[in-house]
Amino acid sequence: MDRFSKSSRWIALMGRNRAYGIFGLITLTVMVATAVSPSFLAPANVNDLLVQAAPIVIMACGVMVVILTAEIDISVGSMMGILAATLGVLTSPRHLDWPVPLAALAIMGLGAGMGAVNGVLVAFGKVPSIIVTLGMLTAFKGGTEFILEGGWITDLPEGLRFLGTGSILSIPISVGVALVVVGFTGWLLSRTSFGRRVYAVGSNQTAALYAGIPVRWVKLLTFTWSGFLVGVAVLVSAPQLSVIDSGFGTGYELLVVTCVVVGGVAISGGVGTVAGVVMATLLMTMISTVLIFLKLGENATYWSRSIQGCFILGAVLLDHWLRSQKRGWGRGES
Amino acid sequence: MGEGGIVRSFRYWHEIVLLVLIGVVFAFAQMFEPRFLQLDVQRELSTHIWEIAILCLPMTLIIITAGIDLSVGGMMALCAVTLGMLFQRGLSPWVAATMGIGVATLCGVLNGLVVTRIRVHPLIVTLATMAAFRGAAEGLSLARPVSSFPEAFGWLGQGVWWGLPVPAWCFMGLLLLTASAVGLSRWGSYCYAVGMNPEACRFAAVPVNRVLLGLYAFSGFASGLAAVLFVARRNTAKADIGMGIELLVITAVVTGGVSIFGGRGNLLGMVLGVLLIHETREFVSWRWSRDELNFVVMGLLLILSVLLHRWLTPANRNTS
Amino acid sequence: MEIRGLSKAFGGVQALNRVSFGIHAGEVHALCGENGAGKSTLIKILAGIIRPDEGEVGFDGRPLAFGDVRRAEAAGVAVIHQESVAFAHLNAVDNLFVGRECCRFRGVLDRHAMARQAREILGRLGEDIDLNQPLEHLPLAQRQMVAIARALLARCRLLVMDEPTASLSAKESKVLFRQIETLRESGVGILYVSHRLQEIFQLADRVTVLRDGCWVSTDPCCDLDETTLIRRMVGREIAARSTARGKGPQEEGPRLTVRGLSRAPMFSDVSLDVYPGEIVGLGGLVGAGRSEVARCLFGLDDFDQGSIELNGVPHPGGSVAASCASGMALVPEDRQHEGLIQTFSIGDNLTLPWLQRFTRRGVLRRSALKTLVTRAIKRLDVRLQSTSDPVSSLSGGNQQKVVLGKWLAGKPSMLILDEPTRGVDVGAKEEVYTLIRELAGEGVGILFISSDLPELIRLSHRILVMSEGKIRGELSGAAMGEEAVLRLALPVGNGQGVD
Repeated sequence: MDRFSKSSRWIALMGRNRAYGIFGLITLTVMVATAVSPSFLAPANVNDLLVQAAPIVIMACGVMVVILTAEIDISVGSMMGILAATLGVLTSPRHLDWPVPLAALAIMGLGAGMGAVNGVLVAFGKVPSIIVTLGMLTAFKGGTEFILEGGWITDLPEGLRFLGTGSILSIPISVGVALVVVGFTGWLLSRTSFGRRVYAVGSNQTAALYAGIPVRWVKLLTFTWSGFLVGVAVLVSAPQLSVIDSGFGTGYELLVVTCVVVGGVAISGGVGTVAGVVMATLLMTMISTVLIFLKLGENATYWSRSIQGCFILGAVLLDHWLRSQKRGWGRGES
Repeated sequence: MGEGGIVRSFRYWHEIVLLVLIGVVFAFAQMFEPRFLQLDVQRELSTHIWEIAILCLPMTLIIITAGIDLSVGGMMALCAVTLGMLFQRGLSPWVAATMGIGVATLCGVLNGLVVTRIRVHPLIVTLATMAAFRGAAEGLSLARPVSSFPEAFGWLGQGVWWGLPVPAWCFMGLLLLTASAVGLSRWGSYCYAVGMNPEACRFAAVPVNRVLLGLYAFSGFASGLAAVLFVARRNTAKADIGMGIELLVITAVVTGGVSIFGGRGNLLGMVLGVLLIHETREFVSWRWSRDELNFVVMGLLLILSVLLHRWLTPANRNTS
Repeated sequence: MEIRGLSKAFGGVQALNRVSFGIHAGEVHALCGENGAGKSTLIKILAGIIRPDEGEVGFDGRPLAFGDVRRAEAAGVAVIHQESVAFAHLNAVDNLFVGRECCRFRGVLDRHAMARQAREILGRLGEDIDLNQPLEHLPLAQRQMVAIARALLARCRLLVMDEPTASLSAKESKVLFRQIETLRESGVGILYVSHRLQEIFQLADRVTVLRDGCWVSTDPCCDLDETTLIRRMVGREIAARSTARGKGPQEEGPRLTVRGLSRAPMFSDVSLDVYPGEIVGLGGLVGAGRSEVARCLFGLDDFDQGSIELNGVPHPGGSVAASCASGMALVPEDRQHEGLIQTFSIGDNLTLPWLQRFTRRGVLRRSALKTLVTRAIKRLDVRLQSTSDPVSSLSGGNQQKVVLGKWLAGKPSMLILDEPTRGVDVGAKEEVYTLIRELAGEGVGILFISSDLPELIRLSHRILVMSEGKIRGELSGAAMGEEAVLRLALPVGNGQGVD
């Protein structure tokens, strides 16, 4: 045992929960960025970063619950688009001009409903979830353009704008909502029977059936939860923009899945924590900002996507290396 | 078994479903828009589908091995950018195109190496490389387009030869090669075996890693070829080429009856799937001239074809 | 409990046909039958997983609700499913409680209560399990104990056990049997399903035999002997048990020579020789490292140290293709995951390893492959309708024959068999034995791994016994006895099974 120094125990800790590893990466990135330009940690910039990450974190909390049951939801990006378009049409004075609270409730309900449709097709229609949500991804994209009729919406009411840009006790509303969602999802997964059942279904579906878990209802609920959170994310992100057009949300599905996976949730289900996902989202959103602060010249920002990709690969390789290390100790000890 | 056995062992239910759906589309077209079915119209409408069809070939095989390649768009972008930059530096477009395809193939090899050596789920690997390749293309080109290729090069994308567009010939040549490799050589069996049970494959001395590496490299090659055709057709090489094409390609392949869980599906189904999606989309835009309907129809087609397949196959009905 | 006229059909196949029998409170009732006799269907009906087509189950005078696991549990039926039915990523506590969690109020877990109960029940079973480890990191036997504990937690009145000892060592089985005694005394009815006849005679009060979905007999255990029981299960007399071991080793150089083979931490310093025509048994408990040795010999895993010689030629490790090419074959332990590709046809499964050999200029020679298949089917006497049927349509025994045939098609000179009769019914077992003897008679060297001691002793010319990754001894001739093998197989000291 003596051979195994402190540092290797630290690595073992990192291996157990991806969150620690990503936290290390974040600290490193922040340190480098702050060293080059100290204003990186200025409150305004941190604030921007968190506001940017908030809607992604909210959706990632939904998608991760779905992935934990060994299903996947890639319709969230275009669901975001169609919900934003609906929100615009509902609240804009030139269209339906609904009161903001009513419209907000409607959007969350509609999101949950769309998620439930995904869930019914997966759980009761027995169509693989990647196919259902791929189909919905395409269908929602068409629906968005249908609602906007090729145009865009600019005249969002003030009350709605407040949801996106306002703050209470100097915490931006979107960040506050994200915190609540993260806290609730973490509690749901670790402290309730529903959460345990989500892990159980993802770990071994046959065993879950044999244990009397209503597998289909669990799946239906996870998709509904995912859809509901897309609605919440839209409420805090769409009003930040001055224009809602049909491009809103495009590509978010892959970004969200990336964050969930980098956060250590196994794509085959049953493994993963909220903490890891939150850290991964922060890391992913930081990359493009960091590039600006590193003062590498304006061309550097063109590389941000590439660096994001390399970070995912890096996380995967690190994980692989950690696991092989751990196996090595297993041999040594037994 | 008896009669039930014959019905059960018939393996082409999904192809029949697709044929019926295609027939329905054509019947509609015949009723409402007879001009839609004329050959020159069809040829005109088909210009952009060939690149997607080319990408579908390796994707079908990869999905049969229970993998997936999300990075096709990224590899296309890298190929296009390589082509454009080399051309700008004075190389002949043909040489530049070859180099571009080479780069894309290398990217595919990289995917394959990570999948086989590190044993990470291909969905994650290619999700990462999708961003990495696209980002590299953007970074190298600074997102600036390159255009004004010579007319002879443009022929590759726009030309017509023996009544069909040149890209169509490319696709059919590649299809013939792939189909004979699957049908005649041992590699076809290997693909299905790897998709069904990779562990048993190791016990049976099937070179799992070589199969996968080859397929991901093939995917890179096909992406390169598709990118060259695209650049030749549009006469611009830009880093945003093929944005989101991976989802389109996967939709077509899965509509064609290839099981996303591996081991099931075939090239015939894939071709029918591409045809169904293409014809439906074109017909919808032709008749109502509204592009947004396209997407709705495509998404619903995907789900519908899988649902129909489930309900119609006796074997599946029993298990559900 | 009273089972009356249960029937269930899948597709056209009648899995259960009007089966009726009763289980008294406080009795251990054994359920026997070959694979496919309908045992698992019956268990699934009792557990509430599937609904029967007709018939009913009376439980304490009331009919049992079908098709609902939770209502079956509430009524007092608990089932220990086979080991694969567990949540590998979850820890022991979650595995024990998922689906019937202790809650403080609606849906909020009471984690302390669950941990306390888990410790208590596992303590009763004499297991010291790390409650925070995911199950996948625990040894197989501990996982099985968790499954047993889960059923015990349910405070059931009928306990159904489906092959509970499949992955337990003798010591752990004893603990389990003690628990079964305690339960019996407290008036719980136990339905015990096992292929191990010894256990049945040791434990059971009465035995029910099923064959082809039909009820055959229910008798008190003391009225039966092994032969009668087997005859009832098979429905015919098993061909006289030949004990002839064949010619034995021939006077030639060894087929396989292994010296000092090691792979940490699985096994170390394994040396053995197999001569042409010799069947060398490799005995030991589950987890002793026998399958790992086999995997290394065949090139599936690398080894750290040592050397392998095949027919006198040094053999490189780490390549299955090289092993195949030089005439070695391995029939793997796990038929479903390692042996067969379930959706492939019988013919495609048989030819999969040999496709390269039957390729000319990149093109497969279909007709040659077909001949290969026909010859293999004929030799093995596989009962089938067509070689293009999926292999999943065959019974367990016939599937195992296909796995065997797959390797025989390559005409190996050295054959490694890892548990070739696991999950194979009694009749097919004899056929597999005959085949193994025939092969040895033809001069093939055979390394035979089995946990079934009688079978190991009957077939082998020599037995090597492994324990904790090392070869503990060699037995031959009259010295080969169950006790002798077991004595060597039991680990030295008491560090076994627990990390």
